[in-house]
Amino acid sequence: MLQQWRGAARVIAGGTDVLPDIRRHKWQPECLVDITGIPELGDVRFSAEWIEVGAAVTFADLLACDGLEREAAALVPAARSVGAPGIQHQATWMGNIVQSMPAADGAIVALALEAEVCIVDAVGTRWQPVETVFTGPGVCTIDPTSQLITHIRFPRARPGVGTAWRRVARRATLVLPIVNCAVKVVLNPDEGDVAAAVIAMGPVAPRPFRARSAEAALRGGPPTQEMIEAAAWLAQEEADPRSNPLRASRTYRLSVIPVLVEEALTLALDRARDSLVVTCRRADTAEGG
Amino acid sequence: VSGYLAFSLNGTEVRLCVDPSRPLLDVLRDDLGLTGTKRGCDYEGECGACTVLIDGRPVRSCLTPVGKVAGRRVLTVEGLADGECLHPLQQAFLETGAVQCGFCTPGMLLTAKALLDRNPDPTRDEMLEALSGNLCRCTGYESIVRAISLAAARIRGDAVDVADSVSPESSIGGGTMRSDALAKVTGRARFVEDVVLEGMLHVGVIRSPHHHARLLQLDVTAAARVAGIVRIITSRDLPGDNGLGGYSRDEPLLAPCDGTVRMRGAPVALVVGETLEAVRTAAPLVRAEYEVLPHTFDAEEAVREDAYPIGAGGNLLGSERVQWGDITASLATSERVFHTTYRTACMEHTALERESVLSYLDDDGRVTIVAGNHEPHWAQDYAAATLALDPADVRVIVPPTGGSFGGKQDPWPLIAAGVVTYLTRHPARLIYTRNESFDASPKRHPYRVDFEIGVSREGLFTGNRARVIANTGAYDAQGFYIPSYALVGSGGAYRWQAVDMLAQSVYTNNPKCGQFRGFGTPQSTFALECTLDEIAETLDVDPLELRLRNALREGKRSALGYPVAESFDYCRVLEAARPAYRRLQEEAEAFNARRGERDVLMRGRHRMGVGLAGMWYRFGKSGALRVEAHAELASDGHFRVFCSAPDYGQGTNTVMSQLAAEALGVSRDLVELINADTALTPDSGIQGASRSTYWVGNAVCGACRNLLLRVIATAAEMLDCSPEVLCIVEQRVVCRTDASLSVSLESIARELTAMGHPLRVQGIFDASPLFPGGERPEYVPFFVSGAHVAQVIVDLRTGEARVRRVVAIHDVGRAINPVDARGQIEGGVVMGLGAALTEEYIPGITRGLSDYYPPTAYDLPEIEVILVEAPSRHGPHGAKGLGEACMVPSTPAIINGVCRAIGARLREIPATPERVLAAIDARWEGEQAV
Repeated sequence: MLQQWRGAARVIAGGTDVLPDIRRHKWQPECLVDITGIPELGDVRFSAEWIEVGAAVTFADLLACDGLEREAAALVPAARSVGAPGIQHQATWMGNIVQSMPAADGAIVALALEAEVCIVDAVGTRWQPVETVFTGPGVCTIDPTSQLITHIRFPRARPGVGTAWRRVARRATLVLPIVNCAVKVVLNPDEGDVAAAVIAMGPVAPRPFRARSAEAALRGGPPTQEMIEAAAWLAQEEADPRSNPLRASRTYRLSVIPVLVEEALTLALDRARDSLVVTCRRADTAEGG
Repeated sequence: VSGYLAFSLNGTEVRLCVDPSRPLLDVLRDDLGLTGTKRGCDYEGECGACTVLIDGRPVRSCLTPVGKVAGRRVLTVEGLADGECLHPLQQAFLETGAVQCGFCTPGMLLTAKALLDRNPDPTRDEMLEALSGNLCRCTGYESIVRAISLAAARIRGDAVDVADSVSPESSIGGGTMRSDALAKVTGRARFVEDVVLEGMLHVGVIRSPHHHARLLQLDVTAAARVAGIVRIITSRDLPGDNGLGGYSRDEPLLAPCDGTVRMRGAPVALVVGETLEAVRTAAPLVRAEYEVLPHTFDAEEAVREDAYPIGAGGNLLGSERVQWGDITASLATSERVFHTTYRTACMEHTALERESVLSYLDDDGRVTIVAGNHEPHWAQDYAAATLALDPADVRVIVPPTGGSFGGKQDPWPLIAAGVVTYLTRHPARLIYTRNESFDASPKRHPYRVDFEIGVSREGLFTGNRARVIANTGAYDAQGFYIPSYALVGSGGAYRWQAVDMLAQSVYTNNPKCGQFRGFGTPQSTFALECTLDEIAETLDVDPLELRLRNALREGKRSALGYPVAESFDYCRVLEAARPAYRRLQEEAEAFNARRGERDVLMRGRHRMGVGLAGMWYRFGKSGALRVEAHAELASDGHFRVFCSAPDYGQGTNTVMSQLAAEALGVSRDLVELINADTALTPDSGIQGASRSTYWVGNAVCGACRNLLLRVIATAAEMLDCSPEVLCIVEQRVVCRTDASLSVSLESIARELTAMGHPLRVQGIFDASPLFPGGERPEYVPFFVSGAHVAQVIVDLRTGEARVRRVVAIHDVGRAINPVDARGQIEGGVVMGLGAALTEEYIPGITRGLSDYYPPTAYDLPEIEVILVEAPSRHGPHGAKGLGEACMVPSTPAIINGVCRAIGARLREIPATPERVLAAIDARWEGEQAV
C-alpha cells in the first residue's frame, strides 16, 4: 500500500503525534495507513529467548500485560511515564521509538533493554538494534512512507540480569522529563561480577543516549558502591544536556544525572542479585524434590 | 480526501462521509452536534477535557484522527446515562459536589468509567493515576475522587455512607445539590463554544509578535481579498472610545497606528470571516509594520528612573503607603530585626474553558454579548462606550462558564465581539486559542517583597517595614489597585507597634497582569508567612505560638491602621489548627528518624517537613457599598429572583437560590433564578473579592423578605385574617391555625395585578450606614482568616517536593452549602500548591499548556478541611467570603514545609526541583565554609 502511494502515504499507529505534526506543517500526507487494526501487531508474545511486542501495542497494553514487570522491571515505570493514562491508551511503544525524541521515555527504555526492531520494507524484513535507528532530534532512519517497524523485541529475563528506571520532572505526570534514565546490568552468575551494563539517558544529547564509558567502567569488576559512583560520574561527563527554561538548566540536569544513574544502577543490581538468589533457591528446591 | 466511515456512537451505528485525518473531537462536536466533549487546549492532548472512550479505553479525541474509529465503539458523555436514568458516576458526581464549572466533567466521567469497568474497587492511588491526565482547576480533584469511590461502592453493591453528600432539597447549612450540575454531567450544558447561530461569523485576532514596539503601518488589503473574509477591523473602524473603560487606563482595544504595543499578543486588528478556515488563511496576510522598542520583563529594572518608558506617564502605575507609629524607633529598639526578600512568579489562570464570546443582535436590536465575566453591567458600559451607543442598546449575558479565577474579568474579548456584531450586523463568535489565552489574557502579578520585621525580647512583633514591587505587565488591568491589596498581605493579621509599608505597581512588557484569585494578597502573604517561619526557626519558637502571641484581635488596630469591622477570630482558627499541626509534625519526626531503615529504593534521602501559614483576607472590596437584587411573584405562582452574581463554577446560582428559598420559606423548585443578564437583572456590583454570598446574598434575602411581606399581606386581606398566622405551603398561602383558610400564589399574583401593585420588589444591601461619614476607611474592612498546615516530602538529592497532606482551617462565618464550601477550599489548596511548586509563566517563553504545569490529580495531597464558624454580623445567615481566601495560606504553608524538610530557606517560588536543590546545596556549602 505504501508503495502504491509512492511516498504520499504514511504509517500511523497510536496517532497521538500525527495531528499535532500535521498542524505544525511538519508534513502533509495524502494518506494515513493505520496499522493498529492488523491483529498480529497487537500482541505481546513470549518466546523462549525474546519478548516480542507488536507495533500496535500501546503503553497501556504494556502496563496491563502480565509478567512484564518480572521480565523487565524498567519497562513498566517507563511506560507509565509517557504523557498520561489517556495518552498511554493511544500511543504505541513503536511510535515513541520512531518519533525518536531525545527524551522519549519509550526510546530510552528500549535502549537500555537492548531492544531490536523488525523493519519491513520493499527490500525485505530484518531485525536491527534499536540504537541504530535514532539519528537526530525527531529524526530516525525509518521512513514511514515506505518502511514499517512491525515488532520490537528484547531478551527475556534470565538469572543475573536486572533493570531499573528513574525520572525527574517538573510535575509527576503529563510532562516531559528533566532527565530520565534506564539501566540494565548483567551479573556473572558465578563470581557476581558485572558482565555487562547498559546506561541510557535523555535528554542529554541530540538523540536517545547511551553512556558508553560509564558502561565500560562497570564491566568486569565487582559491583561495589565505589564502582557505581564512578560510573555515575562518568555518565555525567559524557552527557551534554541543554538548558531549557521551562524544565531545568544544564547545570541542574548535570547535577541530577549521577543521582539518577547511581540510584538506577543500585536498584538494577539489587534486582540482578535477587534473580540469582531466586534461581539458586529454585535450583535447591528442584534438587530437594 | 473524504471517505465513508462507519462506527458505533453511544450505541447507535453512524455512517459519515468525512476526511479521516480530522480530529475525532471536531467530528463529534461540529458534524454530529455532540458538544458534551470539550475542547480545552489546542489539539495537543494537554488537558483531557476531550476524553472519550473507544472500545472502552479513554483516549484524547483531539489527538485521534477520526479514521481510527472505523468499526469501533465510541462513547461520549451523552451516551453515559441510560435514557433519563443517570450512570452511577453521574449521580455520584452530583452528590459529592464533584461538579464546579463542569468543563472538565465529561472527560473526568469517561476516564472514571473506564477505570471502574476494568477495576471495580480501585484504591485512591489508582484513581489518582487514572485521572492524572485530566486537568481540573476548580475542585482540586478531591471531590472527584469521593465521587468515584461512591459510584464504585454502589456499582459493587456495597453499603454506602452518604452522610457527606448533597441532596436536591436541603436548606441553609446542609449540602445542597448544585442547580446546574445535572446539565453538566449529561453534557447538555451549553457553554459559549457549544452554541452555533445562523449566519455566525468567526473572529481571529491579529496580535503583536513583539514585546514592545510602535505600530507604524497596517495594510489589510491582501487579507481582505481572501474568499470568505467579511471584514477586517482596525482601530480606525471603532465608532467610539478605543479603550477598555474603567477596567484599564490607556489600554487600547486595538493598537492605533503610531501607537505602541507593549506586549506580545497585544491586539492590532480583528479578522472576521464566514469560516475559521478563511480567518486562518487571511490572518498571515495582514501586514503590520513595527518599529521594535527596547523591552523588559523585570519590574525592578522598569521602576528605575532611567528605565525605558513603557507607560504613557512613566512606568509607575499605582502606589500605596500605610505608615503609623515610629517605625525607626521601633526597629531600633527591637531585640532582633529580620531582613528578608521574597519573589513570586507570574501565573496563568488556565481555566479549562478558554476566553469565549458569542455576540448577536437580540430581538430588540441590542448588541448582545454572551461571555463569562465578573461584572456584566460594567462590560455593558465599556462596550457601549466603544460602540458610541447608549448602554441600554448593549446587553451582556453570562452563560455557563468554564472557570475564571479572575481571568475572565478582562472585558477585552467581550468588547471586541460586540464591535464585530455592531459593524457587521451579524452574530459572531470569538474564541481564544489556548496559545492566545497564554499570550494575551491577564496574569497574576509577580512580586518582589522586602521586609524588615522587628521582634522584641518577649517574642512580640514590633515594627514592620515592607516594600512591595508588583509587576503589572504591559497594561493596567486594574493593577492600579494592586498595591492596596499587597499591603493587606504584607501586614497580615498581626499586631504591630509601628508600620511603614509601601507597595507599587510597575509597568513592564510582561503580559498584562490583572485579577487572579486573591488579587494581590497571596503574593505578599506568602512573603510574610514565610518570613514569620524564618523568625520562628531562628528564635526557636513554635510557629503556631509565635502567631498566636501576635495575632490580631477583634476591635484592635490592624496593620492597615483601622480595626476589622466584622466578627474576626484568627486565634480560634489557629487553635483549631493545633491538633493537626502536632499530629503531622509527629508523623514527620517519626519518618525522619526512621529513614534509612526502609532503604529499599535507596530513597533514604527523603525528608519530611511540616509547614504552617496563616492569613487574613479582605473580602468585599471598595466600590459599590450598596447592591441590589429583585424578587418577583410570577403570574403562575412561582417566584423569580433577579440578581447579577455570575456563576463561573463557584456555585453562586445555587447559593442564591438557596438563600431565596430560605427567605421565602419555599422549596427551591419554586424559585427561578435569573442571574447576570443586563437586560433582565439589576446591577448587583462586581463579583470579585469573594463578595457574592455576603453582598448579593444579602440583597437577594432582602428582596425575598420584602416580597414575602407583600404576598402575605395580600393573602391576609384576601383571607381576612392576620398576616402573622399565614405561611407558604407548596404553592398556597395557608393559615396555620385553620387549614381550611388558604389561597393559591397564583390568585395572589392576580390580586396584586388587579390592585395595581407591582409583582416585582427590590432588595437592597447597603453597607454605608456601617461606616458613617468620616469613619469609612478607603476600603471596606471586612476580613476572614484561615490557616493551613502542609506536610511535604522532599528528595534531598533531586530537589523534588511532594505534598502529602494539607489541613485547611477557615473561618467561613457560616457555610451556606458546606459541600460547596469544602469544594472551594480543596480547589484553593491545590491552586496554592501549583503556585508553590509547579506554576510559573515565563514571559517570552511560556506559550501554552505544554509549557505550564498546573497540578494534576497525581499531585493531590490528602486534604482535610476544618470549617470554623464565627458568624458574621451582617452577612446572610452569618456567612462570610471564602472563594479567594482559601488559596492564600496554601502556598506559604507548603513552602514552609519544604524549608523545614531541607533545613534551608527558599525565597523564590515556584519551588522547582532546581530551586530546591540549589537551596540545599547552598546550605551544604555554607556548612562547609563554617
